[in-house]
Amino acid sequence: MGALSQLGSAILRVCEPTSLLLMIAGVTVGIIFGSIPGLSASMAVALFLPLTFSMSSSLGMNVLVAVYIGGISGGLISAILLNMPGTASSIATTFDGYPMAQKGEAMKALGVGIVFSFLGSVFSFIILTFFAPWLADVALKFAAPDNFGICFFALTMVAVLSSGNMVKGLLAGMLGLVFAMVGLAPIDGTARFTFGIPEMRGGFNTLTTLIGIFAVADILVSAETIGHGIKTIPVKKVRGFGFSLGEFFKWIPGAIRAALIGTGIGILPGIGGSTSGMLSYVTAKNMSKHPETFGQGEPEGIVATECANNATIGGALIPLLVLGIPGDGVTAMMLGGFLIHGLSAGPLLFVKNADVVYGIFAACMVCALIMLIVEWTCIKAFVQVLKVPKHVLLPLILVLCAVGAYATNNRIFDVQSIVVFGVIGYLYHKFKLPTTPFVLCFLIGRMTEEYLRRGLMRFKTFGAFFTRPIFCVFFGIAVAVILWSVYKEIKAARADKH
Amino acid sequence: MFFRKYGDIITGLFYTALGAATIYFATQLPKSRVMKIGPDFMPMVIGVLILVLALMLLFQSLKNFKANAEKAESMPPDTADYKRVLASLVLVVIYVNILAPVGFILSTLCYLFLQIVVLAPNDRRNSKNILMYAVIDVIFVFAVFFLFRYGFKIVLPSGLFTL
Repeated sequence: MGALSQLGSAILRVCEPTSLLLMIAGVTVGIIFGSIPGLSASMAVALFLPLTFSMSSSLGMNVLVAVYIGGISGGLISAILLNMPGTASSIATTFDGYPMAQKGEAMKALGVGIVFSFLGSVFSFIILTFFAPWLADVALKFAAPDNFGICFFALTMVAVLSSGNMVKGLLAGMLGLVFAMVGLAPIDGTARFTFGIPEMRGGFNTLTTLIGIFAVADILVSAETIGHGIKTIPVKKVRGFGFSLGEFFKWIPGAIRAALIGTGIGILPGIGGSTSGMLSYVTAKNMSKHPETFGQGEPEGIVATECANNATIGGALIPLLVLGIPGDGVTAMMLGGFLIHGLSAGPLLFVKNADVVYGIFAACMVCALIMLIVEWTCIKAFVQVLKVPKHVLLPLILVLCAVGAYATNNRIFDVQSIVVFGVIGYLYHKFKLPTTPFVLCFLIGRMTEEYLRRGLMRFKTFGAFFTRPIFCVFFGIAVAVILWSVYKEIKAARADKH
Repeated sequence: MFFRKYGDIITGLFYTALGAATIYFATQLPKSRVMKIGPDFMPMVIGVLILVLALMLLFQSLKNFKANAEKAESMPPDTADYKRVLASLVLVVIYVNILAPVGFILSTLCYLFLQIVVLAPNDRRNSKNILMYAVIDVIFVFAVFFLFRYGFKIVLPSGLFTL
């Protein structure tokens, strides 16, 4: 049977009433978890995992996929409305989404985010359905040095992001790297910068860092001006998704580029949605004819991020299904789901349980559509959040964040560390240091070191990395990016003087 | 005013100290016996980079100090309300430290109410507003507690009493 007919019969199976209802519930819960800054997509999947015990294996998998898709996409809501990314994947959505909301274009921003989340997902699922085995072969060719090259390339994005005041931007990122070093070193497990505190051996959690930098710091920053009176943000009413067909077609090339970046990064195990969203955003900014509008409320910025981070889902499912390698926390949890249902993810899954595999493909497509419908019908409800006065809303969010930070590892240490990151975020604001480089470096720092050292274990010397073409390409681009950014910075500084 | 005038110099000094400290701690880390690049390599690289960049920033800001200071003088004065910032920070610090010993419900009831009152503008602090904040506080805390405890099966710190 061809792929298409298998897919067709799978879609029919997925659309049975029970399965459809469960998937709607899964997507909705995923969106809620994704949109609340303290709760994450992986938490939602962990919560649903035991519920799938009693279901048939394909139904259980479909529900997990539904939660995953809802969770990644839900992050855009709080990113746009509150300037707090609900998940790490939507950090870059805040850059343009929040300014748009401040200008009264919250509904348009949400509309753009939702539609392009959907398109990004669908793009990656089509690739997943038809090219999965072939792409998995490509993913296997990536060794540690190549992944190091990609991480290094992503780190150089800090230089691009901080154009205008590069020294400060780089310094802002460096503190993120220092925090990423805390804990046990990769490979040998040497304790670094733990200062004898046992909880610090595990390092700082990504979620707690994000919560601190965005949510806690936001309370402190808002406290500065909140006493001056209440500002109400206008919300312009829109029809449909809030953008015209002309705009839509103008954004399509950017969306395709973003979807390719997202799927590509997703396929590589261990790099993940947060990196792909950020990389795609920076690429869009650099390729744009009007880069200065980015960060001021440019819908193209939302298109780039949301398309890429949702496309990462389809990408991440490729190594999971074909090779049995989970790329991030959420897919690791899904691998657990496979094991519970007696399925072993890997090459044989396609032979032995083709119905389950195609069921997952079909579920992905249907869930993306459910996500689009659920989020679109709720846009009006989402923007009501803007009507809640800030002095009430921010403390409520902080409590949710504290609970979320606690729930990730059941450690009070995580809750305490959000305050540390909150103070850092506030000081960054006061000293005019950008927080994005901090977050980017924190997210990628540990990975970069791990791949470097793993690569050195196998290839002995750094020079041997250059025998690998994939590494050379990324390393070359990274060096070019650095040189280009430094050149632009010096040129701008000279022009400033005259 | 202070931040605009001396902000970059303080940032430079802070990062110089951070760079030096990172280098110092990197030298204290054990070297790998097998490979040249051990656990001390990355911290050392980061430390050196921080030090170099921080010195660049210091040099830059000292060189342009006069021009920047003049620019800072001409800008409107800082209207930030540091009383509310400080009060919020103190509240958050107390909250995360009493969360475990006192328990989620009690500590959050206190924190949430006080935090809303601290952040509320002066004209939103009459007795009617305060009553509303208290109602929001109680409803929200119990809703979160029951949702997490029974919906998500996540046990929050119970502290002094259990439910």
